[in-house]
Amino acid sequence: MGTLMVIDQPPYGIWAGREALDMAFSLAAFDQPVSILFTGAGVNWLRTYQDTREINQKSVEKNLSAAPIFGVEAMYACARACTQYGLGPENMVDGVVLAENSSDLIRQHSHTAFAG
Amino acid sequence: MTDIHTLHILNKTPEHPRSKACRDALRPGDALLLIESAVLALAAQSGPESDVPVYALASDIVARGLGQCAREASLVDFPAMVDLTTRAQNVISW
Repeated sequence: MGTLMVIDQPPYGIWAGREALDMAFSLAAFDQPVSILFTGAGVNWLRTYQDTREINQKSVEKNLSAAPIFGVEAMYACARACTQYGLGPENMVDGVVLAENSSDLIRQHSHTAFAG
Repeated sequence: MTDIHTLHILNKTPEHPRSKACRDALRPGDALLLIESAVLALAAQSGPESDVPVYALASDIVARGLGQCAREASLVDFPAMVDLTTRAQNVISW
């Protein structure tokens, strides 16, 4: 079922997550089946209304919106991590599927790669 | 006037082992300043229940879309952050 990029690093604090997103977009651009799983602190990428002007960084929200255009098959979020960080449908970006069991999801993919 | 004994500046996520080490080191008379990824603790269910004053850098809160859940921390801007450091006898950047 293709490659699963796992992003468990928080947004903005370090660059590892962005590198994983770029890797996922590159794979998708070369028609490799790829999906992304946000877990742990990585689910914080998915919160809406990120205003990053004062930290001089591009909002990851904008990067994420490009995922379908690149052909990323699906974006998943670990349900437990979302609960832990107070994330729900009302404050998450659209098009993200809640994954009840991240391990099963990882096992369903032929390749898995992590950020950082 | 140094009314803060030790100012602990934390930039790690709540899950990072150093976050727990920082919390264990808090003593009465200290203060905790959350910056960068550490502000995510304010969104976490468990929340940073600590008996020392907790501050958080506003630009990092806003960048992560956490505006509405910064309730148990006092938001500071950069000048106020510098002022905090001048009020502390010791500063630890975890």
